[in-house]
Amino acid sequence: MTTISTSTSAFYERSSMDIADLRARAEGLQSDLSRGQRIARSSDDPVGASRLRQLQRADSTSQIDVANAAKASTNLQLTDSALGSFADYITRIQELTTQAANGTMTDAERAGLGAEIGQIRNNMIQLANSRDVEGGALFGGQSAGDAYTVDAAGNVTYVGTGTAGDLPLGDGQNVTRGITGPDFLTLPPGSASPDLLTALKTLSDALQAGGSAAQQAARDGLAALSQGMEQVTTAQTVVGSRLAWVDLTTERRTNLTEMRASEETDVGGTDIASTVARLQETMTVLEASQASFTKLASLSLFSLLN
Amino acid sequence: MASDLLSIGRSGAQAARIALDVTAQNIANASTDGYVRRSAKLAEVSSSGGIGTIGDVSLSGVRLDSVVRNADLFRQAEVRRTGADAARADAEVAGLENVQAAVEQSNVYSSMVGFEGSLQQLVGDPTSSSLRANVIESARTMVGTFNIASSALDAVGTGLRFEATDAITQVNTLSGELARVNLRLARAADASSDQTALLDQRDSLLQQLSAFTDISTTINSDSTVELRIGGASGPLMVQGGSAGTLGMTTAGDGTITFTVSGMAAGPVAASLTGGSLAGKAQALTKLAAVHAQLDTLAQSMADTVNAAQAAGITPANASGQPLFGGGPPMTAANMTLALTDGAGIATAPAGAGANSRDASNLNALRTALSSADPVGGMDALLFDISGTVQGRTVTRDALRTIANGAKVSLQAQAGVDLDQEAVNLVRFQQAFQASGKVMQTAKDIFDTLLAIR
Repeated sequence: MTTISTSTSAFYERSSMDIADLRARAEGLQSDLSRGQRIARSSDDPVGASRLRQLQRADSTSQIDVANAAKASTNLQLTDSALGSFADYITRIQELTTQAANGTMTDAERAGLGAEIGQIRNNMIQLANSRDVEGGALFGGQSAGDAYTVDAAGNVTYVGTGTAGDLPLGDGQNVTRGITGPDFLTLPPGSASPDLLTALKTLSDALQAGGSAAQQAARDGLAALSQGMEQVTTAQTVVGSRLAWVDLTTERRTNLTEMRASEETDVGGTDIASTVARLQETMTVLEASQASFTKLASLSLFSLLN
Repeated sequence: MASDLLSIGRSGAQAARIALDVTAQNIANASTDGYVRRSAKLAEVSSSGGIGTIGDVSLSGVRLDSVVRNADLFRQAEVRRTGADAARADAEVAGLENVQAAVEQSNVYSSMVGFEGSLQQLVGDPTSSSLRANVIESARTMVGTFNIASSALDAVGTGLRFEATDAITQVNTLSGELARVNLRLARAADASSDQTALLDQRDSLLQQLSAFTDISTTINSDSTVELRIGGASGPLMVQGGSAGTLGMTTAGDGTITFTVSGMAAGPVAASLTGGSLAGKAQALTKLAAVHAQLDTLAQSMADTVNAAQAAGITPANASGQPLFGGGPPMTAANMTLALTDGAGIATAPAGAGANSRDASNLNALRTALSSADPVGGMDALLFDISGTVQGRTVTRDALRTIANGAKVSLQAQAGVDLDQEAVNLVRFQQAFQASGKVMQTAKDIFDTLLAIR
């Protein structure tokens, strides 16, 4: 007995459900486009959202690594320039000692040279006590104050810690943030003096005391100086290679950051081209169903029966 | 001859009038919710001949047999069943989405990453007072977000329980109404238009009830309904003119259970598997689990940091004091920041001396944190919630489609088709006119007889 196989309310119900569904889909695509992000809440894509969280965690860690690497780099450059100055001082003392070793020198002249060496030694002590960017001792390891103390007689004692400590550069990589005074001022075993500063004090004192021992002291001093010079240049090489290591990790970090950024876009970003295409498709279907709904809804027997 | 042409015509006209009334009623209620299309069922009135009058023609016209309600019991039951499932999934997803928002939007995760980062930054210069202050402030933010997440979860739980209480009130009201409809149905005459309206009301009440809880119905021969909730073996809720009372019990962790009282001696536990009440109960169970996990993470974070603090010394060469306080037992809600001065952070190992830049203890703390990994735990918790929400959303969408399909299918069968009603209007109008013509003919015949002279 049914003329059309469905009831009026069923027709309207179905049409409104279909059109509402299409509208919701179009709005979802539109909001994806306007935010540029595919994931508004974690539940949109739990795996993707978790990956994004991990990437953002790695990103924020990496930014701190950048700051740490810059700090390490600055400290190492400070160390490098201080070591350069040490080398210059040693060269100057070598010149003076070579003069003092000359047999034609008088005691007074040697005493003058000894005094100058003493002054240069004081400069070297000052340099050894210089500070890093954080205000700590540059050559004092992890101690807060000076690396060396000087007693009334002019003898120096190292008061810093044994190692300089490591700074993390990310991904489990570390760099030693500097070198300690004993690392480059200690003379090799078997030398007459334990370290360069003591050797210079012995030299300076002997030259100022004069006498026959002075010339011999100058000769001994030359040997100690060349050993000291070797230690300083070795230390410079170490510092240089650490700087290169920091640069290498920085480059690696930059690459990783780029990779993370591209992965973040892949995981969480909206694919503009495909989203626009899908939006267009949805809009076409929506318009078509709206048009066909209007046509069907205007079909009524009442308007035809008179 | 027992037939009467005029009264046959009159009965035909009357039947056509009734059919037109039914059609008009259908058109008027074309978009009424819960209205089931009626149709007039007509029956011939005639009698066979009696003794001595065999062969007599005895026609007496037509009468209204009954007003038929075109309801399909199976489709109605399907609408209730699928509707209850969809309502359960809807309520559960809505609750879980709120749980997700509470944890995610409190930014616990990013503040935990921030705290971790501030510790990493402190390694670069362990004695710097500004970096130490940064650690304290990051810790303060983290404690704050833990507190916020906890109170947001509590608020979600309170909201869910409030809605459940309201739903229970509605279920009780609807059940009481259903019991009254049962009483009136038992008294109403069969096939009267009064009964069809009551049946509409009965079905509409059942459908409304099915949005709150899964129901199992038995329709008796007198059209009254016997209602059980929580499945076919669940407790009896409505029987004849008496209705039970649904009650809710809240456990200590905020989860809810239901009982029916009034129908049997003492309350009977009801395990609901459908309807919004079941959905809310499920969401509350998940919420309790998430809350417990959040508390565990807060405790793990605090214990790890406090243990490392106790092992080291501050720049003032004092042993480290706990950074976080609260409890016991410590929860995300009562977690506090116990240390407010950056100078109290124990970065150096015991014995390193005052103002030491030795960061061994800080590194030990970071190692302990990365092995206990509360940040990873928080990520896993967020993943757990969002994965659950996503899975349930898929289920909900499927159940919704099924429920919509059942609804449309019921409406297609029981709803009013205006085109068909238009045809009926024309048909019954013609029938009315034809019956009028019959009466006209009867009059003409009578006139013809009178005209005989």
